[in-house]
Amino acid sequence: MIVEDGQEIVIRVRGLAKSFGSHQIWESLDLDVFRGEILAIVGGSGQGKSVLMRVITGLVEPDNGVVTLFGQEEQTLSAEARLEIEKRWGILFQDGALFSSLTVLQNIQVPMREHLNLPQSMMDDLAFLKLSMVGLRPEAAHKYPSELSGGMRKRAGLARALALDPEIVFLDEPTAGLDPIGASEFDHLIRKLQQTLGLTVYMVTHDLDTIFTVCDRVAVLADQKIVRTGSPAELQSKPDHPWIEEYFCGERARAASPAEERRVVS
Amino acid sequence: MLKRDNQFVLQTETEAPGFRVELRGTTFRLIASGAWTISEAAVLDEELKRLKVPIPPSSEFTGEMDISGIAEIDTSGAWLLQRTAGAWQRGGLKTRYAGATDSFRILIEEVHRRGQGELPEIDEVSPFQQFVETTKKSASSIWQDTIALTSFLGEVTVAAARAVREPWRFRPISFIHHLDYAGLRALPIIFLICFLIGAVVMQQGVVQLSYFGAEVMAVNMVAILSLREVGILLTSIMVAGRSGSAFTAEIGSMKMREEIDAMRTLGIDPMDTLVLPRVAALIVALPLLTFMGDIAALVGGGVMAWVMLGLDPPLYIDKLQEIVSFRHFMVGMIKAPFAAIIIALVGCLEGLRVQGSAESLGTHVTAAVVKAIFLVICIDGIFAMFLAGIGQ
Repeated sequence: MIVEDGQEIVIRVRGLAKSFGSHQIWESLDLDVFRGEILAIVGGSGQGKSVLMRVITGLVEPDNGVVTLFGQEEQTLSAEARLEIEKRWGILFQDGALFSSLTVLQNIQVPMREHLNLPQSMMDDLAFLKLSMVGLRPEAAHKYPSELSGGMRKRAGLARALALDPEIVFLDEPTAGLDPIGASEFDHLIRKLQQTLGLTVYMVTHDLDTIFTVCDRVAVLADQKIVRTGSPAELQSKPDHPWIEEYFCGERARAASPAEERRVVS
Repeated sequence: MLKRDNQFVLQTETEAPGFRVELRGTTFRLIASGAWTISEAAVLDEELKRLKVPIPPSSEFTGEMDISGIAEIDTSGAWLLQRTAGAWQRGGLKTRYAGATDSFRILIEEVHRRGQGELPEIDEVSPFQQFVETTKKSASSIWQDTIALTSFLGEVTVAAARAVREPWRFRPISFIHHLDYAGLRALPIIFLICFLIGAVVMQQGVVQLSYFGAEVMAVNMVAILSLREVGILLTSIMVAGRSGSAFTAEIGSMKMREEIDAMRTLGIDPMDTLVLPRVAALIVALPLLTFMGDIAALVGGGVMAWVMLGLDPPLYIDKLQEIVSFRHFMVGMIKAPFAAIIIALVGCLEGLRVQGSAESLGTHVTAAVVKAIFLVICIDGIFAMFLAGIGQ
């Protein structure tokens, strides 16, 4: 376990480098994720936001650098230790990535079935509880993913990510493709679940509304590294970087930011 | 998972999860300890189920869930506590929690609130009823398939007639592409299979007919059989497996990704762009492939005849010319375009029937191959009866 300034660091990334062919994505990327926070990763397209999530979750091998998860170096993990760590995180992929041949309830039970030996009745009840926690109606339990709308698929995917009560959830563009009302509901859902379950949330997002309403900290990917981290308000008041300035002080940001709103009112 | 205090514990060892029940004064207390998390849930569930709900001797007895000893809790732990508390409550014991931190309370309250609803039941059907249902369904699906295939044949005919009137509707590039894939590239495998079957039939024929001293008649058998039946059947089955399934998969995955809907909204008729070129390509390719299959079977038979009977190639060819007339060849060939239409229609129709999921794509590809082969064999039977009727 790594502790710094009285806060536990659950994910530590140091000196990460990755290139695809001749295209260098990062040269030396450093990032810390603290326990209990909601961290947003932002950056222009092609900066490797999703790739970073895939590197941390072990789906993509980095060229260089070290990823430390819960105090253990990812590259040196044995297969069993890795399995233990996989039980401690949940991942929501962009379109839910639900298994299309299983019903929603069965999808949520997949991690329980794989990792634990629970009686079926208990798995049913727990899965149903998770379903209700992410705000899906009980009728959705026996539906197949193809019968659900995009928003419902995301919620069902989140329920599957939460199946084992993980410590960290990774969210890949959780509000992309949702209407503003649905997106705002999803934001509140994330905040509520984070408080109820004591989660650490790592999300890749473009959505300024999400950043301003739920995120504790933002990490900005630009120039092949994390150029800055800080609270949304900090980044907005002191951008210090052309991309951050454009992103946090542009037209859309002014519409989304709570600080700007107050200024208009007063 | 929630830890008791937000202080991090450097030692991650926690007490083994468990509980004990005691009666103090007029209070039944369930004293829980350790980590109540999902990895321990199975054991806890087992033990909690064995726990009997205490029967209160009088109404002033109460229940208490003392969770001050719990170090870690998650949804499943909270759910187990809540289930027990609920059972006590229903048993007539007013039950409350003691020793919960703020974060524990939020979680327990949330679980309590969410756990109210009932899981909708799936209607259980008895196996017999299920059997009757599936039988009914498959029986009616035969009828529905017949109607669907007939109407699809009608649609394709209309589209073909339109393409004749307005030739610009026809897609020559797509036609050539499918001719290449379904025709030319199928040639090696069809040649090989027909060659081998021709050889095997010749070998078996020679062995069996030798009992009558009529080994040479095996040549008659192979020649007539290959030209009338084996060539066309083997070729059709191979093409159904190779191209029929490919048609379903290609069109089906386009259907899955809404590409076909996009085409329609752009004013492009999928009949013209997807179905017609495939049907036309198979109608051209299958007779050609059948011809090659016939030749391959005859060559295979010839090689075996040479080996087993010492019938050298010039003699074999002479013999063939004696036995085989043009009508035998035509009996086989006339079936090819019909088989082609069936394979292409079934392949395209099943592709268009694919729904959203990947599983549905798999089901329809399988259905396309099975139905196409079945129908090709049916058509072959009908032709056999018809040709026998007109004395061919």
